[in-house]
Amino acid sequence: MTMTGYQNRVLRIDLTNRKYSAEPLNMEFAEKYVGSKGLAIRYMYEELKPGIDALGPENKLFLTTGPLSGTPAPCSGKLSVAAKSPATGTMNDCSIGGHAGIRIKYAGYDMIIFEGALERPGYVLIDDDRVEFHDASDLWGRGSHETEGILAKQYGIEYTVLSIGPAGENLSPMSCINSDYYRQAGRGGIGAVMGSKKMKAILIRGTKGVRVPEIKKTTERMIELLQTDVLQEDNTYIYDCGTTAFLEACNDGGILPYKNFQDTTDPEWTEYNGDILLKYRKGKRGCGSCGLGCGNFLQIGEAVCEGPEYETISVAGPNAGVKDPFKIVKFNQVADDMGLDTISAGDTIIWAMEMTEKGIHDFGIRFGDADKMREYLILMARREGIGAELADGVRKASEKFGGTDFAMQVKGLEYPQYEPRGSWGMSLSYAVSDRGACHMRAYAPNVEVFEAAAPPYTAEGKGQIVYDLAEFNAIKFSLCICDLWGTIDYEIMAELLTMVTGRNWTVEEMSEVGRRVINIARAYNQREGFNRKDDTMPRRLAKDALTRGPAAGQTIPEEAFNDMLDQYYKIMGWDENGIMPQELIDTL
Amino acid sequence: MKITITLRGSLRKYLEGENERIVEVPEGCTCDEALRSIGIDYKEIKNFGFVAVNNMRVMIYAELKEGDVLKAYPRIYGG
Amino acid sequence: MKRLKFKKESCIGCQLCAQVCSAMKEGEYIPSRARIAVETYYEDGNLKYKDSYCILCGICAKNCPSGAVSVGEYIQVDMDSCTGCGICADKCPKDVIKIREEKAYICDTCGGDPVCVKTCPQHALTFE
Repeated sequence: MTMTGYQNRVLRIDLTNRKYSAEPLNMEFAEKYVGSKGLAIRYMYEELKPGIDALGPENKLFLTTGPLSGTPAPCSGKLSVAAKSPATGTMNDCSIGGHAGIRIKYAGYDMIIFEGALERPGYVLIDDDRVEFHDASDLWGRGSHETEGILAKQYGIEYTVLSIGPAGENLSPMSCINSDYYRQAGRGGIGAVMGSKKMKAILIRGTKGVRVPEIKKTTERMIELLQTDVLQEDNTYIYDCGTTAFLEACNDGGILPYKNFQDTTDPEWTEYNGDILLKYRKGKRGCGSCGLGCGNFLQIGEAVCEGPEYETISVAGPNAGVKDPFKIVKFNQVADDMGLDTISAGDTIIWAMEMTEKGIHDFGIRFGDADKMREYLILMARREGIGAELADGVRKASEKFGGTDFAMQVKGLEYPQYEPRGSWGMSLSYAVSDRGACHMRAYAPNVEVFEAAAPPYTAEGKGQIVYDLAEFNAIKFSLCICDLWGTIDYEIMAELLTMVTGRNWTVEEMSEVGRRVINIARAYNQREGFNRKDDTMPRRLAKDALTRGPAAGQTIPEEAFNDMLDQYYKIMGWDENGIMPQELIDTL
Repeated sequence: MKITITLRGSLRKYLEGENERIVEVPEGCTCDEALRSIGIDYKEIKNFGFVAVNNMRVMIYAELKEGDVLKAYPRIYGG
Repeated sequence: MKRLKFKKESCIGCQLCAQVCSAMKEGEYIPSRARIAVETYYEDGNLKYKDSYCILCGICAKNCPSGAVSVGEYIQVDMDSCTGCGICADKCPKDVIKIREEKAYICDTCGGDPVCVKTCPQHALTFE
């Protein structure tokens, strides 16, 4: 059946032959997976044969919007950027903010697929129906910020720019894609996929529109949801503080990591906390169709960034033994410009710090060396000097130099900044997440730590907790709606989708789609050879006990971890090896 | 015994906008009971998050001691 | 007389204003056809604002050679008299006016109850 809200159009760009064509959206896929995350993964399952080289021309880059994109559905501005991951070999679906998502919809497309590779560095310009291939030889090698600046001056601000920095050009598995200067499709080496296609930038402009039934009534209802649900105080803390709000909560909660996850809590966290950082705020920013405006534009002297987000503050702050807010902001700025994921690059550098201090291998950097951290970012992006040893991430580096017990990663994707010994379900979440250790699939602390009567230090019931969170996010990110509209629920999601598509979606269907999205991602990975052996926990979590904070004394025993995995597999209907049975795959 | 109650974010309205207040509570009082003495019943408040005593998260029914600082957070959503 | 006012420090660049404007006026979410264009962007490391909204200066009406544009509580365009010459668009100091298919499209504050103001999540747009 036809659904409104979609443009019913996919732009397919053949970079090898510099050709492009538009085709109808696969509406069967849209019926089952809705859009954004889910739709992207379904397309990847269909079009990316198992075993391809993630950095080769057979990999494709999928920019996928959802039916809500481009409408005033609050917080619907994010874009899924997906491809096979060069870091892990699993599927990878990133989420980028800014304005790319709505612009692609206004250009008339639900999805843009990049295939093949350019012969020489270039950038692709999309202006409604027109696609142009341009030479980027004088942009190649420049930082992402400089690149955006040059292209914006040339083409004007009506174009959204997606670009890579030197890290993506040098095929780093920790490279990201930037947009609006400070928004990223961050993880899993998505930047390297663009780099392998020799695409320095993508420019998008759109003058078309999005149609929905009864637009006046629909718009009024969306405005009502915006003013009464989104803009209530439960969500607006994110406007006031951005994600810096997590610092104190994570510190008190015993999940703020310290010195490469050796311990938790930082007694000196007040030196770089939200209160300090936000003194330097010069402006607020949000994504397209946002209502909350989480972005904080900071200027501390000549350190400038929109951010830093909790992940960056944590990895460049307590996890690196650094307390200076200026240096944390500067780290953010350099990482963004180089086009490096702060989480992965940061985790790799702090691992190198521990290796040096423990005398296992001298990487020439210790905890607290904030200035060197930034130097190393640049060296890693350019694969020069010591950066060459660290450029491929912490798993590869630890395979070569040792220290695998505290190389904090799963499947090759580095650990986000939440200590699982303080929130046991998070170890399960990191282990089973579809793209390696990711906190955006099931954010366990929401239920285990930030909740009055939940027991964090047990395996009991964690399978269900992690599943419920993962299912909720899976459908939420397929609409798509931003994480930070926290008070949204299944009813509102079903209502928004129904209003926009003209098809009656129920709460049960939202749940079904969420589950299906988790399964299609797992099916993709399974086809690539992943199973229980890859759903891992770094040895540190079982071996080393924390000494500080509410989780002092905690480790996660292997039996507890295995118990949580068993619970999760059972809930999903997978076997004890984490394998999906064929009958289940056939339903997808 | 005397303890300090500190509220974060949107919970601050229960202290009329003040950040913190010293209150008198019975010996062995739990966090839940202490909060109810200033009008916060965590079960009734939809966006009630968690509590920390002396900057360490505890369960809502943990017992307090003289001089403790009880901090209550609203829900924060994220990842 | 009430006018649209814009407080740039409060603007988060969500462009909901243009989306709802175009919804009410054009029957689609099509910001390129909205009668308002507000956004934020980065340039040379600074946050900048673009604020194309009608300030009721009346310059369009003063310069319209066919008298199609009138200023009262809000701007109105008599589409029968409008020839699409584009002089109003050239003169508009806020770059609000769009010429399409030989007609001028100008903000009319939704007849005195602007939907962009009702929508703006951070009250950057007000009507006072």
